[in-house]
Amino acid sequence: MQLGFLINTEKCIGCQSCEMACKNEFQTDAVVHWRRVYPVGEKNYPRPERIFMSIACNHCARPECLRVCPVQAYTKREDGIVVHNHDRCIGCRSCVMACPYRAPQYNPHYRKVEKCSLCYLRIDQGKKPACVDACSVGALQLIRLDKAAVPDTVDRMPGFPDPSITGPSVRFVPPVIGTQVRGN
Amino acid sequence: MDKKSVAGSGAIWEKLITRRTFLKGTAVAGAAAAVEGLLNFDFLWHLTPAARAGSNNNDNKYQVFLNVCPRNCYDTCSILSYVQDGVLKKVTGNPEQTFTRGHLCAKGYTYTRRVYSPDRIKYPMRQTGGRGSGKWQRINWDEAMDVIARKILELKKRYGSTLPICLDKYSGNFEIMHYGIEGMMSSIGYTTRALGTPCWPAGIDAQTFDMGTLYSSDPEAMVNARYLILWGVNPAWTSIHSMHFVYEARKRGAKLVVIDPVISQTASKADLYVQINPSTDGALALGMARYILDHNLYDRDYLQNHVIGWEQFAAYLRDRVTTGWASYKTGVPQEVIETLAREYATAKPALIWIGYGMQRHTNGGQNVRAIDALAAITGNIGKTGGGANYGQLETWGFNYHAMGFKAPAGSKGVSKPDGTVSDRFIDINNFGHDVLAAKDPPVKMLWIACRNPLSQDPEAGVVEKAFRSMELVVTVDQFMNRSAQLSDIVLPATTQFEDWGVNASYWHYWVGINQQAIKPLFEAKSDVQIAMALSRRLNQLAPGSCTYPVDGDMQDWLGKEFNAKTYQMLGIQDWRELLKGPRKARLPAASWSDGKFRTPSGKYELYSQEAQKFGHNPLPVYLDEEKAPEKYPYRLLTPHWKLGLHSQFQNLDWMMSTNPEPWLEIHPDLAAAKGIRDGDMVKVFNDLGWLIIKARVTATVPPGIMAAYEAWYRDVDYNVNYTVKATPADMGTKATGNPGIAFHDNFIDITRA
Repeated sequence: MQLGFLINTEKCIGCQSCEMACKNEFQTDAVVHWRRVYPVGEKNYPRPERIFMSIACNHCARPECLRVCPVQAYTKREDGIVVHNHDRCIGCRSCVMACPYRAPQYNPHYRKVEKCSLCYLRIDQGKKPACVDACSVGALQLIRLDKAAVPDTVDRMPGFPDPSITGPSVRFVPPVIGTQVRGN
Repeated sequence: MDKKSVAGSGAIWEKLITRRTFLKGTAVAGAAAAVEGLLNFDFLWHLTPAARAGSNNNDNKYQVFLNVCPRNCYDTCSILSYVQDGVLKKVTGNPEQTFTRGHLCAKGYTYTRRVYSPDRIKYPMRQTGGRGSGKWQRINWDEAMDVIARKILELKKRYGSTLPICLDKYSGNFEIMHYGIEGMMSSIGYTTRALGTPCWPAGIDAQTFDMGTLYSSDPEAMVNARYLILWGVNPAWTSIHSMHFVYEARKRGAKLVVIDPVISQTASKADLYVQINPSTDGALALGMARYILDHNLYDRDYLQNHVIGWEQFAAYLRDRVTTGWASYKTGVPQEVIETLAREYATAKPALIWIGYGMQRHTNGGQNVRAIDALAAITGNIGKTGGGANYGQLETWGFNYHAMGFKAPAGSKGVSKPDGTVSDRFIDINNFGHDVLAAKDPPVKMLWIACRNPLSQDPEAGVVEKAFRSMELVVTVDQFMNRSAQLSDIVLPATTQFEDWGVNASYWHYWVGINQQAIKPLFEAKSDVQIAMALSRRLNQLAPGSCTYPVDGDMQDWLGKEFNAKTYQMLGIQDWRELLKGPRKARLPAASWSDGKFRTPSGKYELYSQEAQKFGHNPLPVYLDEEKAPEKYPYRLLTPHWKLGLHSQFQNLDWMMSTNPEPWLEIHPDLAAAKGIRDGDMVKVFNDLGWLIIKARVTATVPPGIMAAYEAWYRDVDYNVNYTVKATPADMGTKATGNPGIAFHDNFIDITRA
């Protein structure tokens, strides 16, 4: 089994509620962002737009963080969630450098790394992750990736690091840009 | 209470600096924590992130309270507050409320950082080194009330009235009992009041002339629209919960059209985005109306039964309006105008949501009237999924008991022709100027509450001059913002989690109780508590000088805000029933569905004699838009954005970490012509002022128009209103006492800084 995120860039309004709901749930320090909302970038589409993708830890099929950690602070649960053990972490930042997605982040306050846990304790209680719960337009969803391909989705977006390296457990609904009638 | 100097090396500024350094990540965390003690967020947790994950995810161990976000925002979210051992640990949306549906916005999710921010004003403080010196001395509430009461009594003695005392209060907290501060002012006599609203008055007047008042339909009913025009409104940033209903309408087959000068976040989601020249919205609406007239697409029955003035309006359209003219004015191709008109008039029901930015122009009111007219002539008003929706105040029928106190007997004020006496009203939208201009008696003392005029008013320099000319400036706030910095006394205000209250929305139909979830932080008080404390001191010094109660339980105060009508509307017998959860007002899903408009004629008035009385054309006509002068050829729009609300939220550490600095959106063509590259610092200026800001080169703005977003960034000298002149909008006087401000008729030039 592999849990992951479905990121619907067609629906996403870039409001950053998911990002702040994550901080609210875990009261993380200002310096770390377990989830971030990234602009995709105007140059990637034929028309100017404001398109975003909300990215946290992708709980990869082949997590580099887990592979490079010298103290086995990372484990991958049966449901695919990559869990970071803060007690084991020595703050060496190998994972910070290894992860293509900037998911593990160094917090100078604790001199250790921390990252998205996919709210596994909430999941164990049958709840949704805090970020998914916070999305008012349903643009962020929890999905299972162990089955067949998720229909109408893609595994990459402009600016999203090549998924072939670590097998990130995210899928995207690509954006749709309507007709624009612009002066000039 | 010990007097403790906090100037110079003392507590608050040093801590601010420490915190700032810490945020930059250059200080050793342990040292920062030791200095800050209670003033950092550690006491929320004392746990590592891993341990937090476990504890905060278990919702069973909390006491949960009902709160409401009281900000000046469409969404007015119902909040559930999770409290443990008296500490607010987190907030979520309340899923029972069907408009916000259990979600908050990015701002709402930062509330713990606001409540426990080390930057909060914690105690009454007095600025001893002059306004703006930053030399603050902690005083206790008794001392603060004593200084203020003595000044009030002295001014009253010197001038024979309390008119030299001026209140400027507006939308920082829209919870109903915050009107207690108006009540306190009324209790001491007749005072000078900043009257009006900076936000939406031109549009309110427009809707008042047309329909009798502003009364928009339940936004949840937007799902029934078959055609949806979001006209000059950007809910993806300013009303995110509305987007669910917009998307749902679309799922059910509606076409989503967004009309805006800027490719806004909402425009990026539209089926059809139409870029329009700013301030020409009325021309587009009138052009569409002409097409609808010429092609017999209007609703004859509706016009006959519910509308007056169709003949005159049709004559005006035939005489003065063509789609070609509309195209010339708006920059929208003629065929697009015709398509829009045809689609809008034939899709039933079709809904228009009229934004507030659109009416912040010298012709804003007329433009709103022209858009309203489209809804009226196509018979879309009174239909669920239709309407010309702008806002509503139907759910705001509280007693306003907290403000309902009379001046002491014998108080002198402004004598009116009818023999009554009143307060002296000055224009909230030209506040600095009016304060300085007030004579006989002059204004000598300011009381600022729920407001940050130095950050939000036009002509900030004039406002600053007004502040500096006072004998006493008192500001009630939670943060040391620009207005607080230029005050003599600051008083710490509670957040909504620290006090009781009741909130309604000007958009959705829900009303909710705001429970006290935690004790007030430090020495913070609510406005009613401040009013009572001041009344106590005034009456000690001069018995009978203030009629405000000196004591009272906050829940008793709250109960007095309700009446039979609000109970009936909410379907309850007692306000305490709201402790079970918020309630939705029992109103029809579509406003005006009974066809009984509140105009003098009882009908929708395309021809309004009331408008004529206020100096306007009785018909919705086009007033020419302001054009850029030669010297300042570009327009700077300063709309609202997603991570702040006016000068609130952006200062919080979580916001600063995700959005550390302001920026200016500038089109690639203009940027190239000016030699500006993405990321360059640029100077935006006109005769009034200037600001230096980072350029973001983007085609989401058209070439001649730039956009910068209002906010109060912590430790950044940034104010989007530095270049804004206090130019009045055309309307606002009837419903709100003063016209609005043409915030978006702001013309500037730009260079590399």
